[in-house]
Amino acid sequence: MDLVKNLCGQLDQMVNNQFDSVEFKALLDLPLTLERGRFYVVQNALYTSNRRDCWGYVQGAAPLDVKRVIWEHESDELINDPRAGMDHYNLTVKQGEVIGLKREDFDNAQVPAMVHACFHAWHHIAMRSHWLTAYTASHMLERRNNGKIVKGGGMSYRVGKKFENELGINLKRMISLDVHVVADMEHSENISEMFEKYAKTPEDCERVLEGARESMAIDRAYRGALGFYMERIN
Amino acid sequence: MAAGAIGLENMWRELVRLCNEQFESRPFTRLLNSKITKLRAQHYSIQMAYYVQNRRDCWGYVQGSAPLPVKQIVWRHEEDELVGRKAQGKVDHITLAIKEGEVFGLSAEAFEKTARLDGGEVCFSAWIHLAQKSWLEAIAASAILEMRNSGELVEGGSLSRRIAAIFERDLGIPMKKQVNNAEHVVMDVEHAHLLMQVAKRYATTPSAQEAILCGARESLMIDRVYRGHLADMLESLD
Repeated sequence: MDLVKNLCGQLDQMVNNQFDSVEFKALLDLPLTLERGRFYVVQNALYTSNRRDCWGYVQGAAPLDVKRVIWEHESDELINDPRAGMDHYNLTVKQGEVIGLKREDFDNAQVPAMVHACFHAWHHIAMRSHWLTAYTASHMLERRNNGKIVKGGGMSYRVGKKFENELGINLKRMISLDVHVVADMEHSENISEMFEKYAKTPEDCERVLEGARESMAIDRAYRGALGFYMERIN
Repeated sequence: MAAGAIGLENMWRELVRLCNEQFESRPFTRLLNSKITKLRAQHYSIQMAYYVQNRRDCWGYVQGSAPLPVKQIVWRHEEDELVGRKAQGKVDHITLAIKEGEVFGLSAEAFEKTARLDGGEVCFSAWIHLAQKSWLEAIAASAILEMRNSGELVEGGSLSRRIAAIFERDLGIPMKKQVNNAEHVVMDVEHAHLLMQVAKRYATTPSAQEAILCGARESLMIDRVYRGHLADMLESLD
């Protein structure tokens, strides 16, 4: 139990550290314009699709009871989140309407080169690592979005607040960001329970930490890439 | 578009032909001509539970690589297999396999304590390898196994039905008591249409149709090898 408690403490520290990184600061300190906001929202839909890929791969490799937890998790994301009355991709598209985006903007969106590389990196971990490493890599992105763990709020909350403070769009109207403020608390807690069952030895913990470190590094690169591209949008 | 549609029909006919041909292969003939004893039924049942688990691995990978609308179809497919239709009181298919084992005198522990066949393990790895290929090949590789188990498509009955009939003949256990076989006799008729549903939208070019045929052929080849290993196992249990 102490092993898992200690492990979760390290994971919590890592997700908090993300927000002190140069890449996260560059993105979150960048003044938001409507065009930059549109870019972010479209890119976020592609990020959501990449999450669906990775969770599928993790489900493929995981033990049966973990597969079931992931399947339930994917119900909100892929089929219908009762909090929103739709799946999360459609939720993002609907959110886009608030800032003048149409479905075609999402369907025709291009993945910028640096983002493309990050998506491939996440795929690689999800498909090629030990399942516990792959599982943690995907889980960490939801843990990093959990406002109960991240001091000052998770990523969705902070970005939502930027839309509110800098563009005057209330967080409640940014329905996808708003749902994720709550959904990722639940998701990261449900998923986290699996560590108690499967992180039994120092080797298991190292597999978990390896997934966490790798995913957080890609996450920093990804956020840095978004900041880089957004800075070039006037 | 019209050429694509004609190609699609030909592709479907070829897939159905391949499924039927499977039953004429030596490994399938050997397996289906085996005499079943209680011990053989027990071991067959345990190995089939591993097969079902491997299916869950492969469908997970397929879900990972497929486009979003196909992911949703696969997710719904996995509801039956992985968690069951709770609203209808139906359990998942692993639980069903273990429940069926009780009819052959097996406990849940027997499923946990009996190792996978060596040959089975190799086949499972091969199927996972296929599941990690391009998504059209991958989905065909998994879906063809359910087409091969559809009594609607296979003349003379699906594999589950034929196995169930042998168990009934040799052990006197009626099919309705073979809950796993009975469920798959019904469920795989429904699931067998998944591939065509996907192909109509995504396999409109000759290369996409070829990818589906390629995935299906490779999977059926592994399937033959796997059934051959099961036949070997049954023979060794006297």
